[in-house]
Amino acid sequence: MTRRAALCTAAALPTALATPALASPALAPEPAPKAGTDRPLFGAVTWTLANGLCVVLAESRRVPVAAHYLFYAAGAGEDPHGRSGLAHFLEHMMFKGSRNVAPGAFSLAVAREGGQDNAFTSRDVTAYHQHVEASRLALVMRMEADRFAAPLIPADQVEPERAVVLEERRQRTDSNPRARFFEAFAAALWGPQHWHGRPVIGWEDEIRAITREDMLGFYERRYAPANAVLIVAGDVREATLRRLAEEFYAPVPARPAAARDRAPPPATAREPRLIHHDPSVREAVFLRSFVAPSLTWAPQGDTGQAWALELVAHLLGSGPGSRLYRALVETGLATGAGCSYDGEVAGAGSLGINATLRPGIAPERLEAAVDAVLEDLLQHGPTEAERERAIRQITAGALLTLDSLGGVPRLLGSVLSIGLPLDLAEFWPRRLHAVTLAQIADAARDVVGRAPHTTGWLLPGTPARTGSPA
Amino acid sequence: MSAPDDRSAEARDAPDRSQEAASPGFSLPIQEVRAAGLTAWLVEDHSIPVVALSWSWHGGAALDPEGQEGTAAMAAALLTEGAGPLQSVAFADALRDQAIGLSFSADRDGFEGGFRALTDALPEAVRLARLAMAEPRLDAEAVERVRARAVAAAKRTLETPRGQAGRTFWAAAFPGHPAGRQSGGTEESLAAVTIPGLRALLARQIRHDGLLVTAAGDITPARLAAAMEELFGGLPAGRPADPPPLPPFHVFDRKIVSVASPQSVVVFGQDGLATGDPDWEAAQVALRILAGGGFASRLMQAVRERRGLAYGIGAGLNTLFHRGIIVGAVATENARVAETLSVTREEWARMAERGPTEAELADAVAFLTGSLPLQFSDSRRIADTLLGMRQNGRPVDWLAGRPERLAALTRERVAAVSARLLRPADLSVVIAGQPAGL
Repeated sequence: MTRRAALCTAAALPTALATPALASPALAPEPAPKAGTDRPLFGAVTWTLANGLCVVLAESRRVPVAAHYLFYAAGAGEDPHGRSGLAHFLEHMMFKGSRNVAPGAFSLAVAREGGQDNAFTSRDVTAYHQHVEASRLALVMRMEADRFAAPLIPADQVEPERAVVLEERRQRTDSNPRARFFEAFAAALWGPQHWHGRPVIGWEDEIRAITREDMLGFYERRYAPANAVLIVAGDVREATLRRLAEEFYAPVPARPAAARDRAPPPATAREPRLIHHDPSVREAVFLRSFVAPSLTWAPQGDTGQAWALELVAHLLGSGPGSRLYRALVETGLATGAGCSYDGEVAGAGSLGINATLRPGIAPERLEAAVDAVLEDLLQHGPTEAERERAIRQITAGALLTLDSLGGVPRLLGSVLSIGLPLDLAEFWPRRLHAVTLAQIADAARDVVGRAPHTTGWLLPGTPARTGSPA
Repeated sequence: MSAPDDRSAEARDAPDRSQEAASPGFSLPIQEVRAAGLTAWLVEDHSIPVVALSWSWHGGAALDPEGQEGTAAMAAALLTEGAGPLQSVAFADALRDQAIGLSFSADRDGFEGGFRALTDALPEAVRLARLAMAEPRLDAEAVERVRARAVAAAKRTLETPRGQAGRTFWAAAFPGHPAGRQSGGTEESLAAVTIPGLRALLARQIRHDGLLVTAAGDITPARLAAAMEELFGGLPAGRPADPPPLPPFHVFDRKIVSVASPQSVVVFGQDGLATGDPDWEAAQVALRILAGGGFASRLMQAVRERRGLAYGIGAGLNTLFHRGIIVGAVATENARVAETLSVTREEWARMAERGPTEAELADAVAFLTGSLPLQFSDSRRIADTLLGMRQNGRPVDWLAGRPERLAALTRERVAAVSARLLRPADLSVVIAGQPAGL
């Protein structure tokens, strides 16, 4: 059994024990158990097929619909050296037919049934999904399993699809000055060939270099049952899904799956400072990004620091009332300011600060104000009021994930695909509540105080006209 | 493959409310709840502890004084920037402490409000929404912040070919009418917005009469009625002034906006039909076949699947001022703009001349009837879908009757509507980028 399958099995245990509290609220003790702390948020159940495929069901009888998501635990972070964009290009080619489904027929069949189908590639996963009326679940499972087992990736479709991918890159990135800058900024911190510094869609010259053999190799190494998670949400009974999963997915042959091999972050930023001038930009943008621990990676082995970093990001830059907002927006230095952190990633993560400069303000003033905010946090630490407020505001809406068909499978898929247990998704508010003031201060010191970071400015005009704030 | 969802939204600055659909196997009981002199539509569902309410008036940017475009949009943003005793940060904290998503927005022909909240937070959501409408503070500090944000957004729109193309298209199609203006304003017009101007706009907009209200989720008719009394019972009588009638779509010659970019964005469109037109659903079917969402449409097949010209292409009815305007967008490499346009025009003409095949009609009807339940899995979306129906003047049993009406559409009828509506010669085009070979 692979490591991933083992995690999946281990996750089944606490969930199965906890589920009755959700199923029979009348028996709940007083006060009522609180979702996410005393009982699971989603009440999902999970099991593993003989070929290693992890199956998850999050049942909801709200409307007669089902969401069917197949996550592969491989994304752009697994693109080989010099072949950035491979995972994404392969995702496109997976729509070009499989053993029993003609090219393009998958999407047309789903549309014919009133359903929606699509796919996405992130740094960590490639996921294929359909939303259908519940009785059509078998249809999409049959087609998805067929694509899983035997995609055609037809040679004569590679070049036309490469043209589509290049247009997608032009649309998303090349025709948008901000997107161009964000791409260059990530490369400046991590390096243009580091898995975290390359764009998911790929560098243009590398998209052009990808071959069909590259795709077949990626499929062979990464699209194995033991490296995938099947998630179904909606109006589906467990017995039904068990039967359908056995019928359609169990026949997909088991094969060895390549484990992720994520290089550690660089010891120092490749370029600590990046100043871009762009004549088409009309509003200057400030960015600073730090290498940070995640729920799967930490330099000292303490992945729990990820929870504290969620709180650091909130107290720094979550809009009105946060420190950056007070120091930049309320003072008129910036039109907007924020801080983002996402700990649910494979390998090293990042904590990023962003601000849009108010016209007429010197960039140096904004940057000095950011420095002062960070310095103050490092010197004096957070307050208890900030800790409580951050936890309250982040956890208040935990149950809102239930209010969409795709929300629960996307959350569960992103957690399970990076090797974390289901429990972590079911009880994430509990983990936040446990974070102490000292842990927040430590996390801030470890990341904002000493981690590798890059500061960037995207400025209007040309260098000659505006000069550099560096 | 990962984002065609937003494809057809490229040329719009408001969500398309014309995608109403239904399924024969799925019935959705819509209740009418009367309170506070208003009638709300409610889809009651207690399976998840979430409630959504949406409401709207006509007006919006159509009420902006000439030269002060963006007033309504700024006023909408300012409603959640402090109200009653709560200054901006206190108001934001009150919302976020209970994860209440309350927002107001103004588009070209309407002004909307709404919230989504956990059931436990409903009383607080209603309290804050009422306060926002009844006692907005419009503190000078908040006004300046919101103005700076709006100016930044207006300028940012012009950074990309997409933003440039959209702005030029609407201005050319409806010159001199609010439909042709930027509902978010421009750098110059936003500078001219004043606090008395904002107050005056809100006084004309936030009225009791003319309100449309919808709700979905974990709320009983009685609780909804009580919420309506609190939210709307105290609003001043009278209704927002009617906007000027929409002039005919002005067919214009191809416009090229020069933008330094390797790719051009093409926005194309033509006149459509009134929302009350008896052929509305036949037109929806025709456009789904020609240019609708997903990979099935003729344009997607011709432009992306057969020629690899673009990541996506789509067109649909953009509803404004009680009329559906047909608008589409595509982005392609500068060198291939001419080919993309010519393929698009050919498909437009082919549909106009010969209409759909029986198989295409059957597929489109199957999709439109089969997709209804999917639209009812998210409470804010349910409330917004119902609101869209009301804005288009549909009766409450409109969804229930839709599968039968769609099933009754014949190939001849859809072909006749295609011939009446689609005019390749009138297709007005804006290209933003550096197109070659035109």
